[in-house]
Amino acid sequence: MSMVAILEQSLNGLIVSSFYALAALGLAIIFGVLRVVNFAHGELYMLGGYAYFLAVSTLGMPPMLGILVATMALAAVGALVEWLLIRPVYDGRADRPEEYSIMITFALSILLLNLANSLFGPWPRRPEPLFRGGVELGELIVSGDRLAAASVAMLLIAILLAGLRYTWAGRAVRAVSQNREAAAIFGISVTRVGMLAFATGAALAGTAGALMGPVFNVVPSMGIIPVIKAYVIVVLGGLGSIPGAIIGAIILGQVESFATILIPDPSRALAYKDAYGLVLLVGILLLRPEGLFGTKGRRA
Amino acid sequence: MTLNSLRATGLAATLGIFIILPFVLEDYWIYTVTIGFYYAILAASWALLVGYVGRISFAQTAMAGLGGYASALSVQHIGLPPVIGLGFGVLVAGLIGFVIGRLTLRLHGAYLGLTTIAFAEILRITITAEYSLTEGSRGLQVAALIEGGTRVEYYFLFLAVTVACLALMTWLLRSRIGLFFQSIREDEDGAASLGVNVTLWKTVAFAISSAFAGLAGGLQAHFVQLITPSMMSLQEMGLVLAMAVIGGFHNVFFAALGGVGLQVLLEALRELGEWRLVVFGLLTLLILRLMPNGIFGALFDALAKRLMRNGNDK
Repeated sequence: MSMVAILEQSLNGLIVSSFYALAALGLAIIFGVLRVVNFAHGELYMLGGYAYFLAVSTLGMPPMLGILVATMALAAVGALVEWLLIRPVYDGRADRPEEYSIMITFALSILLLNLANSLFGPWPRRPEPLFRGGVELGELIVSGDRLAAASVAMLLIAILLAGLRYTWAGRAVRAVSQNREAAAIFGISVTRVGMLAFATGAALAGTAGALMGPVFNVVPSMGIIPVIKAYVIVVLGGLGSIPGAIIGAIILGQVESFATILIPDPSRALAYKDAYGLVLLVGILLLRPEGLFGTKGRRA
Repeated sequence: MTLNSLRATGLAATLGIFIILPFVLEDYWIYTVTIGFYYAILAASWALLVGYVGRISFAQTAMAGLGGYASALSVQHIGLPPVIGLGFGVLVAGLIGFVIGRLTLRLHGAYLGLTTIAFAEILRITITAEYSLTEGSRGLQVAALIEGGTRVEYYFLFLAVTVACLALMTWLLRSRIGLFFQSIREDEDGAASLGVNVTLWKTVAFAISSAFAGLAGGLQAHFVQLITPSMMSLQEMGLVLAMAVIGGFHNVFFAALGGVGLQVLLEALRELGEWRLVVFGLLTLLILRLMPNGIFGALFDALAKRLMRNGNDK
């Protein structure tokens, strides 16, 4: 393999990683604060894609504004879902909170998938991307829509990390992730932080969907594969760990990018493409369920 | 009327209805209810694992598909008669279930959910990709279970198998093993400290539940005479979850009723198109949130409460 090909594959991997990271960070924040794995994350991602499609293609907004609309809309959806469905997990109303949280988010994902199928139809839509044409970086040619979307994603991740580190709300989120009771004793409203976390997580998923929608397609089932990758990433990095989610995304992007060109039989390699991440997921869960950066508990 | 006679009356009435049904229904609806029995076994097997042992699994429909493919392929390539093939499918599903149960002993809750999703998807992707053996997503032709069997014959066969499965599950759950299962659900460490072999029973529960799913899948494959990887998809799993939850997943019988009931409703509301799935999704959320014992569970509880109030039951 030539140097240019290697560079091209790793750049592609990095671009894909930035989208994965955006979706995975949402899962990580939600799990960190609420101890809930959001099985409906892929459908929130899909809703983000449709919000962008409606804003840009139907209402004719500029793409940048479309992304903002998708982020806002999904933050509202996330807050609503938290208030209506997730709250019983930690206020003692659900008999078996963990079982309840898994089943309620899984049922929500089925509902949203079918809702999108009914409302928008199963046809793929292709809204206007952020940027058209190719960009030359030395000898490399990268498609502009991907590069632009990846840049926005990286910018958002930087803003999110700064917000978590320096703002009061970000500190509250981190405090509740570390120790719920202690945070409550120090006067943090655990309920409000829970809602903030779910809204942020949903907004991140929605933004990722809005960025990816024009690059691939906006269809009701668009969330199924990315969300499984987001699970792989958060488990790889340790459920609930923010740096773990970012490093996990970088690892998965590179693994996928290189694994597909290392297998000789192209049709079979393509068929198994989505299985690599899953095998990685099972391997980590069985050998080191706390992930690379998670804290070790007595039982996962 | 005592609580036990309420149970007996309910059972007898339900069984009576299902025995009379094929004599009043049209062919198409007999077919629909027969498919409903497939979902009934599947939903009950899922409820056995989730409702009684407290171990979540999203691999139930994948196990059904595995049982179906194992049976179909063994009939096609080794030339086994379909009934023996069916048994082989049950064995394969049970064995893989045992292995998954064994591997995931340390995991619970969301971790277990994620692992079983991954297993299910790996199985589905493998079966789709190995098209030289399985014909991939085009689907595999399967030999008929009853040569030239009529709709009514299949109906009664499925009914008999469903009743047998439910009886077997009830017998199991009422035995000491059922108590072990529930003790694991309530407090694993407590159960272990009292001498319950938690490792063994967690694994066995997974194997049994998978074996029942494999049986359901095999029956379905030999009845429809076609099997495709789409029956192992997570959407199908969502449907089975909705059936068990709506019926009531803390009781295998209620979950099975949810399976038949929802399948029949899905066909009856066909003119609503995709919207019926939205309605069922919404119903599942509402029931999970407000009526955790499901529709039949809540109905039974309400009847039992009335009996208690009248002082007829001690």
